[in-house]
Amino acid sequence: MGEVDALLERAGIARDADVEFFALAHLGTELVGCMGLAGDVVKCTAVEESLRGTNLVAPLLMEVRYAAIERGHGRLFVYARPKNARVFSALGFRPLAEVPDLAVLMEDDPRGIERYQASLSAMVRQGERIGAVVINANPFTLGHEYLLRAAAADCDIVHVFVVGEDRSLYTYGERFHMVNSGVAQMPERDRIVVHGGSRYVVSGSTFPQYFLKDAPDVSRAYTGIDLQLFRGYIAPVLGIRHRFVGTEPTSEITAQYNAEMTYWLCDAPMAAPPIEVHELQRVGAADQAFVSASKVRALLRAGRLSDVRRLVPATTYDFLVHKQPWDAVGAGGERS
Amino acid sequence: MRITHDAVAGTLESGDVLVRVAPDETLGVSVSTSVEAQYGDVVRKVVATTLAEFGVESGSVIVEDKGALDCTLRARVQAAVARGTDEQIDWPALIGRLP
Amino acid sequence: MTSSYGVLSAGNAGFDPATVQFSKYSDSALIPDRSVLFVPGSSAGMLSTAWIYGADLYTFDLEDAVAVREKDSARLLVANALHSPQWRGLRVAVRVNGMDTPFFADDLEAVVRAGAAIIRLPMTHDSHMIEELDRRITAIERACGREVGSTQITAAIESAAGVVKAREIAEASQRMVGLALAGFDYLMDMHAERSRGGTELFYARCAVLHAARASGIACQDVVWGNIGDEEGFVAEAEMVKQLGFDGKSLINPRQIPLLHRVYAPTESELRFARKVVAAAEEAEERGLGVIAVDGKMVDGPIVAIARRTIAYAAGHGAAR
Repeated sequence: MGEVDALLERAGIARDADVEFFALAHLGTELVGCMGLAGDVVKCTAVEESLRGTNLVAPLLMEVRYAAIERGHGRLFVYARPKNARVFSALGFRPLAEVPDLAVLMEDDPRGIERYQASLSAMVRQGERIGAVVINANPFTLGHEYLLRAAAADCDIVHVFVVGEDRSLYTYGERFHMVNSGVAQMPERDRIVVHGGSRYVVSGSTFPQYFLKDAPDVSRAYTGIDLQLFRGYIAPVLGIRHRFVGTEPTSEITAQYNAEMTYWLCDAPMAAPPIEVHELQRVGAADQAFVSASKVRALLRAGRLSDVRRLVPATTYDFLVHKQPWDAVGAGGERS
Repeated sequence: MRITHDAVAGTLESGDVLVRVAPDETLGVSVSTSVEAQYGDVVRKVVATTLAEFGVESGSVIVEDKGALDCTLRARVQAAVARGTDEQIDWPALIGRLP
Repeated sequence: MTSSYGVLSAGNAGFDPATVQFSKYSDSALIPDRSVLFVPGSSAGMLSTAWIYGADLYTFDLEDAVAVREKDSARLLVANALHSPQWRGLRVAVRVNGMDTPFFADDLEAVVRAGAAIIRLPMTHDSHMIEELDRRITAIERACGREVGSTQITAAIESAAGVVKAREIAEASQRMVGLALAGFDYLMDMHAERSRGGTELFYARCAVLHAARASGIACQDVVWGNIGDEEGFVAEAEMVKQLGFDGKSLINPRQIPLLHRVYAPTESELRFARKVVAAAEEAEERGLGVIAVDGKMVDGPIVAIARRTIAYAAGHGAAR
């Protein structure tokens, strides 16, 4: 790994810890090119300065493709600096969303996101005012329930998206199950549509960082991309014009993030219609709005189930207490 | 015949073509070629003909052409389909007889 | 891509076998190939353009040039290329994978059907392998409607056993048209090392050459791997030409003109050859039993050599 790190460093990028496979190119005994693969994401690509322009990335990508197929990934994504978008275009990738000078997300399936949109269109529901909520639900708490109810009070239809990455305390399958169970108990359930995770709802926790300098950059990059995908591809199909987000004073959702959200969903010049952002206001004496999932996780790790009971819906509590191993695919939702 | 799993054949070198196949409910073919203006239609036709010879009914087929000759297009599509299916292939019939 | 490609290389087109009359070369066989260029079967780009280099014979390689992962794809590239307008009219050899590999059978099926003129069998140790190959080719020719016997065989000799059994190998089938000495594996088998002088190959060269000549088939010398050392290549080519080798296996197109220059007759050789042939024809016309050129008697072998020299110039291009 030493020579890979050295090559990456010369290229001004870092090595993301989740890279499972590196394609390597040697000239004699010297390492002159590398390209990494983490799941279905191509990252950490570097070519020795003197060999740039020789299209060394093409055979590197071939190795990565074969490795990806062995690992069950026929479609690939790449997050890269925008100035490298051209290189990846020649390799068969097309841009989906870009934050200028910061990051671009590309995919190699010419009909990838269109296919996702087609699956979304099967879940269209008519309404005057259609809103959306995006949650991790790790686990699904009273705070989430409160958020959904508030959205449903303000809209005819609410689309709920469960983030798909499997990096949380609970697997995607478990989280999706908790959301579905929770919604099924809500009086508004007929107006709430739960969507499974997809590659097009981006999680900050798994966003590649190898080419970004610091935390604020990472944050701006992934929110920008995630929100553009949402506004540009997801919302138009479903007619979503409103997005609801909870504020949690002790969590990572900061004023900065909400400002980003407002910018990308409302103000940024995009062909897609703007989406109004609704920050959940604390109403009355209810503590429910401020139940944070991270607080619940801490309690769970400490084994304090009785304390957790006060903070989650009954359906979630039942699940936590009787937790069974879940087959993520069997629990439903689209994982691609 | 159906594409049953992901597969890839070919390269992005000049004069070659990269063909990627994946399972899908219907048959969908995407072709991008470095010589779209002069040869775009020819490339699409050769790909379609080759798929038809195999009787491919469903699958996603993505073709990235870098100026490959017809024989190369045919060969890479054949290879990708063969790699991407569990079904048996009648090679003698496909390779063809001598004139 | 569908525009017509003219054949730039004179190669083996436009040659009249009737002018060549020496030893057991049949009329349908040809002037032995001086340059045999290997083209990696996994390279679409090279398969598309190699005809431009003017080699006497091209050998599409499915063996050492192709990684295991690509064996299936390369086989299809080669089979489709053989059918293509660019290669259809040309005589092309294919080096299939070794008989003991899982790829051999599929390689043979594909390339015999697709029209390969010659099958080059690597690692030929004995005559049984050639007999087996002959049987399999016959079965495929019958199955696909190709004229039985039209596919020829070149045996690559790559081991001590192969060298020792070269004569039997050469005689093992009517399809045999050549023996090719392959240096790398042979030297490993012998625990020897490659050197510029080539002493380590001396016996193998002589043995394989004798076997080929005794059986009346062609004989090619080993690949010269050091592309940068053109002087060394030419020196080796001149040496093996003198021994009697018909040519060499090549791995880089740059070696082709170098080799052809070594094998081309000089102007004076060509002039002499024309005189000899003219004298032979005149003697035949006048019913004379003896041919004389410049006051000296000239017999059958010299006439044959003269005819071959002229054919070389005619079939392969101008003299040096």
